[in-house]
Amino acid sequence: MRLERGEISSSQLMFLISCFIQGGLFPLSFAYSISKHDTWLALIAAFIIGVFIVLIYIALASKFPGKNIIEINDLIYGPYFGKLVSLQYIYFFIISLSGYLWFIGDFVLTFIMPETPIIVIMTMFTFICAWAVRKGIEVIARISVIFVFIPGIIILLTFALLLKNMEFTNFLPVFEIPLEDFIQSTNIIMHISVCEVLVFLMVIPYMNKPKQAKRSVLLGIISGGLILLTGTIRNIAALGPLSEIVTSPSLLAVSLINIGKIISRLEVLVSMAQILLLFIITSVFYYAAVLSVAQITKMRSYLPVVIPIGIIGISLSLISYDSRMQFSYSTMYITPILSMHIYIVIPLISLIVAKLRKLPQRNGRN
Amino acid sequence: MGVVLRYLIKKSKFLKLLCQNALERNKQEPSQDGPNTLTNLSQSLKTNLDLIKGVIGNNYDVVIREFTFDRQRQVNAALIYLSGMTDPTIINESILKPLMFESRLSINSAPKLDDVEMIRTTMLSVGEVNKSVNIDEILDSCLSGSTILLVNNCHEALMIMTADWKSRSVDEPKTESVVRGPREGFIESLLTNTTLLRRKIKNSDLTIESMKIGQRTKTSVSIAYIKGLANPLLIEEIKRRLNDIKTDSILESGYIEQFVEDAPFSIFSTVANTEKPDSAAAKILEGRVAILIDGTPFVLTVPMLLIESFQCSEDYYSRPYFVSFIRMIRYLAYAISIFAPATYVALTTFHQELIPTPLLFSMAAAQEGVPFPALVEAMGMGVVFEILREAGVRLPRPVGQAVSIVGALVIGQSAVTAGLIGAPMVIVVALTAVASFVVPAQTDSGGILRILFVILAGFSGGFGIMIGFIGLLIHLTSLRSFGTPYLSPLAPLSVSDLKDSFIRAPLWAMIARPRTIGWHDPKRQEFRLKPSPPLEEDTQSK
Amino acid sequence: MKGLIKIIVTPLIIIILTLGTTGCWNRRELPALGIVMGVGIDKAEGTDKLEITTQIIKTSELKSSTPEEGGAGSSSSGGGAYWNVKNSGESMFSTIRGFTHRTSRKLYFPHNQIIIFGQSLAKQGIQEYLDFLLRDQETRLEVLMLVAEDKSSDILSVKSHLEKIPSVGVSDLMDSQAANSQTIVIRLNQFVTRIMSPTTAPIAPIISIKGKADNKELEVSGTAVFKRDKLIGQMNKEETRGLLWVINEVKSGIIDIECPDQEGTVSLEIINAKSKITSEIINNKPYIKIDVKEEGNIGDQSCTASLVSPDAVAALEEKKNEAIKDEIESALSKAKKLNADVFGFGEVIHKKHPKEWEEMKDDWDKIFPDLEVEILVKAKLRRSGNLGPPAAPPEKE
Repeated sequence: MRLERGEISSSQLMFLISCFIQGGLFPLSFAYSISKHDTWLALIAAFIIGVFIVLIYIALASKFPGKNIIEINDLIYGPYFGKLVSLQYIYFFIISLSGYLWFIGDFVLTFIMPETPIIVIMTMFTFICAWAVRKGIEVIARISVIFVFIPGIIILLTFALLLKNMEFTNFLPVFEIPLEDFIQSTNIIMHISVCEVLVFLMVIPYMNKPKQAKRSVLLGIISGGLILLTGTIRNIAALGPLSEIVTSPSLLAVSLINIGKIISRLEVLVSMAQILLLFIITSVFYYAAVLSVAQITKMRSYLPVVIPIGIIGISLSLISYDSRMQFSYSTMYITPILSMHIYIVIPLISLIVAKLRKLPQRNGRN
Repeated sequence: MGVVLRYLIKKSKFLKLLCQNALERNKQEPSQDGPNTLTNLSQSLKTNLDLIKGVIGNNYDVVIREFTFDRQRQVNAALIYLSGMTDPTIINESILKPLMFESRLSINSAPKLDDVEMIRTTMLSVGEVNKSVNIDEILDSCLSGSTILLVNNCHEALMIMTADWKSRSVDEPKTESVVRGPREGFIESLLTNTTLLRRKIKNSDLTIESMKIGQRTKTSVSIAYIKGLANPLLIEEIKRRLNDIKTDSILESGYIEQFVEDAPFSIFSTVANTEKPDSAAAKILEGRVAILIDGTPFVLTVPMLLIESFQCSEDYYSRPYFVSFIRMIRYLAYAISIFAPATYVALTTFHQELIPTPLLFSMAAAQEGVPFPALVEAMGMGVVFEILREAGVRLPRPVGQAVSIVGALVIGQSAVTAGLIGAPMVIVVALTAVASFVVPAQTDSGGILRILFVILAGFSGGFGIMIGFIGLLIHLTSLRSFGTPYLSPLAPLSVSDLKDSFIRAPLWAMIARPRTIGWHDPKRQEFRLKPSPPLEEDTQSK
Repeated sequence: MKGLIKIIVTPLIIIILTLGTTGCWNRRELPALGIVMGVGIDKAEGTDKLEITTQIIKTSELKSSTPEEGGAGSSSSGGGAYWNVKNSGESMFSTIRGFTHRTSRKLYFPHNQIIIFGQSLAKQGIQEYLDFLLRDQETRLEVLMLVAEDKSSDILSVKSHLEKIPSVGVSDLMDSQAANSQTIVIRLNQFVTRIMSPTTAPIAPIISIKGKADNKELEVSGTAVFKRDKLIGQMNKEETRGLLWVINEVKSGIIDIECPDQEGTVSLEIINAKSKITSEIINNKPYIKIDVKEEGNIGDQSCTASLVSPDAVAALEEKKNEAIKDEIESALSKAKKLNADVFGFGEVIHKKHPKEWEEMKDDWDKIFPDLEVEILVKAKLRRSGNLGPPAAPPEKE
């Protein structure tokens, strides 16, 4: 009795993860103010460390093929303690969902429609995500196949068009910031982009070829990471020190493009791409939250919880975040530390416990 | 809101029940109070004739010709046929003449001619002759153009295929016209249509199965496919869905389409139709199944993919570069036809900062003094355009032209000079209108999407358009046509099938059939078919 | 049934949500906008207040009016397709919002082309006024920055003879400056980048009015040099080009030099120029080296000697080297005199020698005036136009 009947192929998982990583370009702006023009180095460091952490997740998933993280927890920690661990994951999924909902609302309010109430934007966005979630992971994955190329092409195009405005000396001197700032920035980037791949522990079980999961995930992370790096380099090179103080370096960098007074104002492309990518990210978190809640409550279908979880997500984000300043403060200084527990500690412990208990046992129902 | 909804649901459930009851009653009716039906013929010619006369006798086109043959024994017989649907030459020359005249000549052999089997085998020089005792079957075949031969003292009747009626000749179809390519099109006669298909595919595997749908119209419906190429499960599914149609009439392929499609509420049709035998044949050869319906030149093909709307049979007859370019133009035109008015509304009411400054000057100058908001303007112009288009389509051609002139000149030009509408809006609507005709298969979906997007853009600008776009994609990716994903070569991605999507690769490069449709026998042709100059000449010239 | 609900109810909910709840917040029809094309920021006379002049286009007159039309008898409010409106207030944002008391349409800034600061305000410091221009969603970073020789409101009211809108005239004027490379063209983002740097001095072009009454014309007359955010001095056109050579902004231009061995001048056109600043630390003292590479053609000569022989070309190149070097040196001495690092030498050292820079950065103001700078110029002559020798009678000797 699987909750999800759809299947995704390995290439779809790759595109999905690639979209997921690329979507980090805007949230990445939190890191600029800390690591300044060395953000690109922090990005590379975060991805290198992140890949190792992701390998833990994949190891966990491939130990229990066809089982999502909630089921895995039950197997590793037993039915009661396992639920306790699972609840933390659910908390993480819903908190991330609400964070991204707030981010999209904030993004639209800051750059597109400053006078609209945030709840309207969030409701519209949640509505469309709920629609996708109801259709299942298959539809989300297929959409990602279409979306993955759009932002990539836009970033490469704007990179080429901005070459004229770029000042590559902006990267100098390399590694100027203090080490602690660098570590902090790396942690932020890990937190807002690579390590969120944790959520795919709810998706990997539904692959049609589970053996290729590792390859797809890593390829997705690398391709998404390269696009992210291109974007970061573009922003720093084009904006210089301005990138440290503006709220959205990508938009401002692209707004500098002006070729013949007609090819200008291309930031609309960037915000379009960003909305598409945020849709993918939010949908995946939404899906994971919905599926895990349905799983832990032993429901036969996850459809009834879609709308309630969406409402919870919106309410939670309205309760949790007051202002952009508070949101960025918590994203920069609080959540990266707190969530290390979910990103690193629990998966690592799970893996070790599974090894010690010699799970999965090759008998019985397995 | 909720109350209204619940009421609607209840109401429709009630209607559904009502329909079910009616259908069941229909089914039972003939067996209950129709004593004539389901009975077999009797031995007596007179009884039989009375029986038939009782059912169809008061129709003026029914001809009942009683005669006697076999001079020795004076056998009474009768021919029953419909005068407009049969070929009188066949009846006269091949049925009446052998029976009445030649049977006298062959007096020596003196066969026992009251046996219908004997008549069938020795006397009738007509291709298709069947026997039946069931009066329903006999009447059905009579109504589809057969001539019925009843012989006294025989409880069997002969159904002699004499069907022939006036039908349009095969000519160039009005839709899907091409510059290069075959000019013939399907017509209203099912038999001609299957012939047209057979002439394209001379292969014993081409299977054309027939069935009758419609309790009252008894429309012949054929499904055509290539055995071993089309997925057997698909054929089963189509047959199941066709057999499930329990309606009283099928008048056009659109009837069938609405009864078998996967997403009946979608604005996108998941069943393709074509009027050209060459494109139907091409689709059958890709592994699809064609559904031919008697009485309409439009042949359905399933499963349908979205990209089929952007393909045209001529694409494969012309050279690939230009075709690829034109394909791109088609996608662009479709995008324009959906998004152009919405984008214009979003730009002028929400995102003026995105308009290049020189363009903003002219747009602002044109919009100055226009009394309506851009949303109202766009909606109004859209509706006016649809009115003009509909009038142009329905009216006789000469009047239609007058309508378009009045529409274009009077409404467009004067509305601008009177300051009711900004000139850029007229340009946008006109561009949209022209673009919407580029992809005829999606004109209807485009029209609805256009309005939805304009509304979204009018109330929440670019964000609304994006939300609508994502919603559209969610809908499209979740659509399936007979099990095949609707956005097939794109999502799920199949790189080799992209050769025939946004571009059209040379024919020799398209080695495999589309993966989602022709996977049962994927190989279309050999590798290394790329033409190249002969090697020998190369060496000679050196 | 389920499908019916989905198909009918889904759009219905979307429409009701958007229609009923949104109430069209950010909707602004085009005719409701007062599109601002230029902003002038001045100190109000006699008070500490700020005076802002905005130039709004009159969309209704865009089509009909020509630049010449409606010139007579119009004061600052202007005829033609624009309207200059003034407001004064305490802070930038409140003053700009205050325009709503005077204009029937909401001011709309995304298409703003130029920002002009008045001289007196620039001397006081302009950092506080830039914040709004960067922070607001409507303003854009590519807007041109200028400093008026006197009051910015006067500049905005000078009609352009070719364009309908004076601000567009000014922005086009700045575009055409590339042909001479004697004016710095600076956009808001570049200006702010310079302000954010601890050492580099911001610069902006100075625009002034020539002529009187009806024959007023605008002219770009030099470069304003800021220290931090305060105007401290100017550079003239030659010094400006010296500056542009160093910061690699020379696009084109004319260099006049004397004819070798003869009376008269030769005008050489700059076709291509590149420069590079490198730094060196020797004995704890920074050195700057400027490499300039230039290519050009002979554009015009008044002397009669043929200048196409290899010797003559070499001589011309030598003279051109000197001329360019002179320009750079004049800019350098002016910058040192003002003690303003307009070239960004500090940043160069910072980027190349981050460790040494830590010690230097606080005393940069002391180091800069005595900074040793080496200038290397490599000028080339490539072509001589349609002519070889000049169209002159053969020399009699």
